[in-house]
Amino acid sequence: MKKDSLLYTVIISVVFAFLFVFLLSLAYGATKGKVEENQKLIEARAYLVAAGIEVDDDMDIEASFNSSFPNFDTESAYQTTTVNGKSVVVSPFQGNGLWGTITGVIGLTSDLKRIVGFEIVSHVETPGLGGRIDEAWFKEQFKGEYAANGIVVKHGGSGGDTDPDNGQVDGITGASRTSDSIQVIVNQQIDKIKIELGGTN
Amino acid sequence: MNEDSPVQILKSNVWNSNPIFIQILGICSTLAVTNNLSNTFIMTLGLIFVAAFTNITVSLLKNIIPRKVRMILQTLIIAFYVIIVDILLRAYLPEISKALGPYVGLIITNCIIMGRAEAFAQSHGPLISAWDGITSGLGYMWVLMVIAFIRELMGFGTLFGITVLPAGFTPWTIMVMAPSAFFLLGTFIWVAKTIILKQEGGK
Repeated sequence: MKKDSLLYTVIISVVFAFLFVFLLSLAYGATKGKVEENQKLIEARAYLVAAGIEVDDDMDIEASFNSSFPNFDTESAYQTTTVNGKSVVVSPFQGNGLWGTITGVIGLTSDLKRIVGFEIVSHVETPGLGGRIDEAWFKEQFKGEYAANGIVVKHGGSGGDTDPDNGQVDGITGASRTSDSIQVIVNQQIDKIKIELGGTN
Repeated sequence: MNEDSPVQILKSNVWNSNPIFIQILGICSTLAVTNNLSNTFIMTLGLIFVAAFTNITVSLLKNIIPRKVRMILQTLIIAFYVIIVDILLRAYLPEISKALGPYVGLIITNCIIMGRAEAFAQSHGPLISAWDGITSGLGYMWVLMVIAFIRELMGFGTLFGITVLPAGFTPWTIMVMAPSAFFLLGTFIWVAKTIILKQEGGK
């Protein structure tokens, strides 16, 4: 068969596409269990952080998760736990970022007035710009923030926002759209939990 | 000296025709990832791996790939190795995988890999092609590491996440943001070109 012929080109393309995708699915299948295990750990860690529990590298995440959330209910939209004598409502959230879905876990005090912790589980925002929502300084800002009337992710201005009582956190320079998305996602989640808990919205 | 000798390839890829400051390839990632040494290091390691294996594969298959579809098949091969890197990181280095996030996928779009596959592997044997891929990756790595070193030091006061500058140091926020990579890369190209011109003038 001639190398320039249409038939040869088509056959080679199909064979290569099939071969490489087949190898990929083998690799995917071989690591599937391990990846799921890792994902579970990442989620468990996010729940702990959102509940306001200090997480360090040497900690047994699984044991800590099981003791903090003994009655973990996968059907429910939120989990409750008690940390240092205070009741915390922890719930997983997801929403649209600039490029795709942002998922994470947020913890609120039982009166839903303050945020206890905030952790991102996955996102596909622009590296170095919107992707910085997963950096510690950004997530730490939510800790203890007053959120009874929702939060505002601030644009512009200088000096930064360090006041935990004004319901405002700093946005990310060069990532206004992602900052806006976070604001929408967090506020929607707080409203959702308010309705779930049957309080007045 | 023979242009295709391993030493000559090393010299050319790391300095004389460095992918970053001479060929100006792979600039997107240079701007995006270099505000942090650890991420830069892992990303450039990933690139070396992908460049080497893509070159080997393209070199081995060059005689059975029809010219018409060679570029699309090169892209397929590159994507294959990048996804392999992604899968391995996810399974065995989940922390790094999470920190890098979409950076790994960005390796697919790095022009250096396709550039080397097209310019070198298409016309050379698999072993020397692998060496070309590795050295091109090294040429990319050292420039990015220099830029990341300056950006992380000035932007955060840290190196590889360890604080090295005194607490009184005010971080330069501009160094964390993408524009600073433009300034630094521009300065880098200026310095490198000046040195190269001097070397040529001295001959």
